[in-house]
Amino acid sequence: MIALHDVTKSFHSGKANPFTAIRNISLTIAPARLTVLKGPSGSGKTTLLTLIGCMARPTSGRIVLSGNGISGFPGGEEIRELDITSLPERFLAGIRRATFGFIFQHFNLLRGITVLENVMLPAYPTGERHGEIRKRAEELLALFDVARHANSRVDLLSGGETQRVAIARALINRPSVIVADEPTAHLDTDLSREFMEIVGSFKSDGKTVLIASHDPLVCESPRVDTVVEMRDGRILRSGSVP
Amino acid sequence: MNRSVERHRNVLDFALSSLLRRKGKNVSLWVVYTLIVSLIAAIVFYTHALKREAALILQGAPDIVVQKMVAGRHDLVPVGYVEKIAAIRGVRSVRPRLWGYYYDAATGANYTLMASDDPLPGPGAADIGSGVARTLHLTEGDFLPIRATDGTPTLFQVRKVLPYASELASSDLILLSEGDLRALFDFPRGFATDLAVTVGNPAERPTIAAKIAGQFPDSRPILNSEILRTYDSIFDWRGGMMVVMLGVAVLAFVIFAWDKATGLSAEERREIGILKSVGWETGDVLLLKFWEGAAISLAAFLCGTILAYIQVFFLSASLFEPALKGWSVLYPRFKLVPDVDPYQLAVLFFLTVVPYTVATIIPSWRAATVDPDAAMRS
Amino acid sequence: MRKSTAFSLFTLGNAILLALLLCSGRYGSGEARAMQEASRIVVDRFQLTDLCLFTEARYTRHPSMADLHSAFQDHPMALEHFPSGSLVSPPRFRRDRP
Repeated sequence: MIALHDVTKSFHSGKANPFTAIRNISLTIAPARLTVLKGPSGSGKTTLLTLIGCMARPTSGRIVLSGNGISGFPGGEEIRELDITSLPERFLAGIRRATFGFIFQHFNLLRGITVLENVMLPAYPTGERHGEIRKRAEELLALFDVARHANSRVDLLSGGETQRVAIARALINRPSVIVADEPTAHLDTDLSREFMEIVGSFKSDGKTVLIASHDPLVCESPRVDTVVEMRDGRILRSGSVP
Repeated sequence: MNRSVERHRNVLDFALSSLLRRKGKNVSLWVVYTLIVSLIAAIVFYTHALKREAALILQGAPDIVVQKMVAGRHDLVPVGYVEKIAAIRGVRSVRPRLWGYYYDAATGANYTLMASDDPLPGPGAADIGSGVARTLHLTEGDFLPIRATDGTPTLFQVRKVLPYASELASSDLILLSEGDLRALFDFPRGFATDLAVTVGNPAERPTIAAKIAGQFPDSRPILNSEILRTYDSIFDWRGGMMVVMLGVAVLAFVIFAWDKATGLSAEERREIGILKSVGWETGDVLLLKFWEGAAISLAAFLCGTILAYIQVFFLSASLFEPALKGWSVLYPRFKLVPDVDPYQLAVLFFLTVVPYTVATIIPSWRAATVDPDAAMRS
Repeated sequence: MRKSTAFSLFTLGNAILLALLLCSGRYGSGEARAMQEASRIVVDRFQLTDLCLFTEARYTRHPSMADLHSAFQDHPMALEHFPSGSLVSPPRFRRDRP
């Protein structure tokens, strides 16, 4: 579970163009559920995602992770509750790497290297044995039915295949939380539906999923558990979908 | 520990994949760098080995050579000096040396003619160095024509060719009897080219040289140590051709490094952003850049030094021969005894690997410290 | 094979080869040593003072015997016109004292 307490994020304060992306947000993301952040661009969805995903720190407020899924703490300790607000950079990066998997709007795969290597990349700096990383990557590619492209260049894949490679990459470090930013923005209806099915499988694996989107196909999908509506950095409405 | 090694190996894997993406460019970069390193290393190896060779071979040179100076130039020395110098305490023997240069117009070669009394080639006979034999296609028993100063050619019969193995010291020598040499060059009686002084105790050489200079103000004594030191300054890095060669190499490297250091392309920046966003920390990105630079420079250093070693010690530095030979027709054949100064090798390693690796890391520093959420925003 | 393994092997192989070459120089090279010894004998017997490397110009043939300004024999500012002159400068001991 991820709990935000009165979180604010401002940029460029003290400089020429200060602006506040998020104001006094308090929110709870339930574990093993699909939560959607809905709202127009500029509403602060992306900023909220970066804060929850340990990519940036809030200007004020607290963010607390709790539950079984927190991993990546040095020493391999079992942590059940962690306030990440003032955690040193190094620890934050380790936790981010092991706990969260990200799927980006533009997929953000590296050109010129193979699909397999792209999927293995996030695990390289952990010092895990190459053979094990490779095995997991191959399994993930098989799971998403792109194993035959393992040694192809990323540039040669279709949109749908690229998306699935991006998803496989997000899962390489066995995260317990998946974060996706506008995942269906470049996909047609069929591929979008396919994506939501995959999200469904995440849920059944017990993973927490957080999606920022204004695509009705996502927001109104039956798989969604909670919708958080945002505008201008604040939450308008937040409620479980019955 | 193990995790650390694995991390390095993983990052190195990706660094190599990254380099192989632009295979043509990076391979030619490596080849050019290797060639530059091999040229510099060959020069370093060659000059060091040759200096060592000279130091060892010339140990048997005279203890002191006495020249006479006239108007600041080397002139013939009166044989009368011999007795007076021999009388100085500590001097074991004084021997006049008679030698000079002979230019053979037919072949364009310069030879050194020397009077030898040990062993004695008879009048009309000559011992020649193997370079002379090679240039003039002579063997024992053949006749060697030499023009005297008045233009008349004299024939000398070759008694012996000096051993091929001694080419480095004797290649261009023509040894004649003293009488023949004096007649050829019209050497005035009572004069010699210079005097070779043998001293009983090597420690006394400088003292005796000082005494000689004191007794004969127009003389210039040259110590054995000074003869050896001459060869320390050949191929001096401050001298003519060396400055040019080193300058070219430095220039090539600066062009290299400039190309690398003038910032990252947008593509590279984007990629670093992606790496940061999928979980690579700043340190990991810098490690990647380190390995990219170190891989190429390390490979260039090793391959370049190996090539240089083979060229200098197995192929007798044949690449340098034209430069050393210059216009001369005669060039000695010799093999250098391999001798590499470990300090020079270490400096070469340092200069090959460190600047290049640093030039690869520094431009990426800024990009590597970008926030991980940058990829989200772009 | 992993790329890093291949690279490590390549590097290690080269390093070993270099080490072998350096050692072979120290302990092998009989022919070169024999040549060195032969030259030593000749120098000793005929009381020679220089190696026979640069036979093109007389001031480069016996650099240890040369005058300070032999190289500039035509004129003190005369440019060097023999290639070996740009490799051999007047011996340092000459430059230190007249």
